[in-house]
Order: sequence, then structure tokens, then C-alpha cells
Amino acid sequence: MSLLAVTEVTKRFAGQHAPAVDSVSFTLERGSALGLVGESGSGKSTTARLVAGLIKPDAGSVVLDGTELVGAPRATLQAARRELQFVFQDPFSSLNPRMRVSELVGEGLLVHGIERDAAKRRDRVVETLESVGLDSSHLDRYPRSFSGGQRQRIAIARAIAVRPRVLICDEPVSSLDVSVQAQVLNLLGDLREKLDLALLFIAHDLAVVRYLCDRVAVMNGGRIVEIGSRDQVYEHPQDAYTRALLDAVPVPDPARERARRSALAASRSVTAPGVNS
Amino acid sequence: MTALLPARLRPSSSPRRAPRRRRRGVPVAERIALVVVVLIIVIAIIGPWIAPYDPYRVDLAQALQPPSAAHWFGTDVNGRDVLSRVLVGAQVTLSATGIVLLITLVIGVIVGTVAALGGRVVDEVLMRITDIGLALPSIILALGFAVALGPGLQSAVVAIAATWWPGYARLVRSIVRETRHAEFVESAVALGVSRWRLVTKHILPNSLDPMYVQVTLDVAAVMLVISGLSFVGVGAQVPSAEWGAMIASAADNVLNGWWALVFPGLAIAITAIAFNLSGDWLRVRQDPTLRDGGAR
Repeated sequence: MSLLAVTEVTKRFAGQHAPAVDSVSFTLERGSALGLVGESGSGKSTTARLVAGLIKPDAGSVVLDGTELVGAPRATLQAARRELQFVFQDPFSSLNPRMRVSELVGEGLLVHGIERDAAKRRDRVVETLESVGLDSSHLDRYPRSFSGGQRQRIAIARAIAVRPRVLICDEPVSSLDVSVQAQVLNLLGDLREKLDLALLFIAHDLAVVRYLCDRVAVMNGGRIVEIGSRDQVYEHPQDAYTRALLDAVPVPDPARERARRSALAASRSVTAPGVNS
Repeated sequence: MTALLPARLRPSSSPRRAPRRRRRGVPVAERIALVVVVLIIVIAIIGPWIAPYDPYRVDLAQALQPPSAAHWFGTDVNGRDVLSRVLVGAQVTLSATGIVLLITLVIGVIVGTVAALGGRVVDEVLMRITDIGLALPSIILALGFAVALGPGLQSAVVAIAATWWPGYARLVRSIVRETRHAEFVESAVALGVSRWRLVTKHILPNSLDPMYVQVTLDVAAVMLVISGLSFVGVGAQVPSAEWGAMIASAADNVLNGWWALVFPGLAIAITAIAFNLSGDWLRVRQDPTLRDGGAR
């Protein structure tokens, strides 16, 4: 049985014709990493929020370790969140500006009743901070005194402090400087191995997903158009949209890039999607 | 080309220094205002003990004495020492103002938060009640309360609080509705916090800053209404040393006893200005995004 099974999940927002997420199904195994890619507006962030129970789906089912989350009572959902945590895109807005690092990282331990004793909780917070490359000197500071990369580390520490088994990352590096993106990605990769985390990794950057994930799902217009192992999707894309998406990635070699572009222009039958930067 | 522009539109050759608020420490005007606010609060507490005379003792032989060494602020038409009455009046006026604002804040925060988070029906009901509250002019309501409860400071306090909270409820509602959609609130939900904790730890602390500022700024406004109600006769009653009531009773003798009117008036004006300036300073200080030069 899969750790996380998402089946036929659909969500249409009020006032819109097409569903934002249309019959999306996938599974996530223990310790594996699934990348969800697609252009902006393809429904990948909405999918992440549906899985995390932050938005209620119109139809479908999300089963976490045998527990159905769709339509579950608040208490069940709250308890499930100990197993399933979320890292948001923008660490400048996802951290409560009025909480110190110790409170931010310790909050999960407190609300899930994992560590009620304040001193012990502090120890675990320090331990968690150290695992993301921060230390106890940061405990009493507020988010405003950290850089973007550090803030995202705090957000990651906040999520993994409760030792979840699933971590959903909604474009966790796209708001960071390129120079720190790699650090945060490496951190996520390390944590995945060390904590046996299953990652659901949302990104529009194909290279990032290729680096971190062993399976890839490609979304377009609210649907998953292709899902498979990393090599299969990147080397032998079956779907026209996937091919167009891959073709739109520039090659960092001017000569090869020129050749690639002219070849592409000659054989242009599929309109390339506007992959945003 | 710059010569064609009027002097005030020309780009300044020497860039002006950063606004003083960005410098460290408290700007001079705000510093004075803070000192004055503290002073006024101290006076409000110890006023009855430092008053040189009994503020209520009528001595017609001493009526309408101009300011002198014996009576710094002079005496009123009944021979009472105006300085003593202003000092004692600080307590009367400010405690009434404080009670109004406390009631207002508590009701406003509760109603506003429940309306913002409680769903469409709850919101609709609470906002219509709020509209009713907003539609009632405090003077008319105070007159009604004066008839029902007898005129007095309590009636004025109840009447002002009853007409003042809807504004706060509206303000709280709109701020909370905005804060609720902040990403850190979603992040707290994703973490698994309880509803109560979500509201008290995440939403309200990030919503109430404008309220503190509003309260400080409203000290002046509420005080003026209290004094105004006392002035028209439905607030504090004779022989109360409430500042508005003092002005009212001195108004008849403004030509031969201006001091009995001017000093309580000055007390109101200084208190109002000091609280307004302090409120402004508080706003800057309380906002964590503006404090100690945070990143971003």
C-alpha cells in the first residue's frame, strides 16, 4: 500500500469554467520523491494544497497511510498533519513575523503534543535547526533578521520538526537567489535520505525536479498528462506537451542551442508552451 | 533645463537627510508628547493628593480671582481653585475615556473577529447590528440614557461605548479578513494548529497593531465627546471637575473669568495632542517590519 494515494481529485474554483485540477491521481511511496511540473496555472500548486487539505476538493480521495482525508473531521485532519507537512514557496510571507525561531520551529512539537516540556522542546528545536544548517544562536531571533535562504531553512525546520513522513514542497526554491537554490535543494535531498521522507515536489524548473526526484508527473490544464520515472519522462517523453516543455528548456551551450533552435523551428508542429522563468 | 523649473521642483543639489523617523531614537516632538502623556497619566492617578485646595469647596468670597501666586489658575465663579479642579479632573476625564475605550476595544475585537471568521451568515448578522450601532448618534443616545439612567458620567460612558464599538468592529473585521489569507496563517493550518491557537497566536497578533494606534488616537476623540456631552449637560454633572463640565459652567463668565474656561480647555487640547503624537510614534515602533532595520 502506498504511503499517500491521491485518486481522481478534482477542484473547480467558483466563477471559473475549467477545473483548476481535473481528476488528478498519483501515489507516493515511502521515502520516494515525486516531482510535479508544469507551467504556471497548470494546477500544480492547487494540487499540493488539495493533498495537504488546505483546500477542499470537489471530488476524489486523498488517502494517507490508510486514512481518508477528504471529508474527514477536523481532528482527523489535524492529526494527519503530523505525518504530512508543507513548505511554502515564499519564506518571506510563510513565517509569522511575530514569532521567534524557537516558537516557529517548536510550534508543531507543541500543538501535536510531541514535546510538552519547554526545555526538552527547546532541545529538539536546536537539534532540528542544526539539521538544516542553523544553530541555537538563531533561537531568539525573528524571521525578519534572516535572509531568504535562511528563512526557507527555518520553514523546512518548522515542517520537519514533527518528523513527518510526507513533505510537500510548493516551489520551495523559486523565490530564492540562484546561489542559494542549490543549497536548499541539497538540504532537501539530504533530509529525504536521513529522515526517510517522501517528497511531493512542485516546481516549474525542470532541472530542479530532475535533480531531486525519482518520479515525475507533468501537469497541463489541471490534468496530469504524463507520469513516470525520471529517466522515462526526461529521455523518452510520450506526451506532446511534455516534449514541448522539455524542448523549451534552453541548452547552456551557444552552438548546440542554435542548432537545437533551428531544428525545433523546422519541425515545429506543436506550439511550445510559455514556460515562465 | 533645470533652470526652467521653479525652484521647488528642481532636483535638490544636496539630497535631504533621511526623514527623522528613520534615525535612531525618538524624535523630539514625539519625545515631548510621550513625556506629557506619562505626566498626564501620573496626574490622573495622584491628582487628588497634589491638588493645593479642595476642588469642590465653594467659597464665594474668593469667586473669580484671576491667576495669582495663591491660585495659579485663578478661581471659578464659585470660588473653587481651578488648578485643583484641573488636576482632579484629569482623573475623572481620563478614567471615563479609558473605560469607554476598553469596552469598545473588547467588543470591537470580539465582534470583528467573529464576523471575519464565522462564515457568511454570522458575518451578515453581526455587520447589520454594527450598522445599527453606527447609525445612532452618541449625543442622542446619551440623552436617552440620561433619561433612563439619570444624567451622569456613567450614562455618557455607556452611550459613547455603545456608539463607538461598531467602528472598531468594522476595522477589526477588515484587518482580520486580510490577515486570514496571509501565507503564514495557511502555514499554521498546514502545520496542524488548533482554531483557537490560529486566531490568538497567528491572526490577532498580526492584526491588532492598527488597533493600538487607533485607541491612542481615539483617546483624544472620546475625551472630546465626553467633555462635549458634559458641556451640553448629559455627562458629568455639577460639581464634578470633569474638564468639559468645567468649561460649560465657566462659559457664562468668559469675559470676566476667562481662566476658569481656558485652563481646562488647555488641558483637553494638550492631552489630545500628546496622545495623538504618541499614537503615531507607537505605530512606527510597534511594527516589527519597521523596527531594528529588519531585512526586506
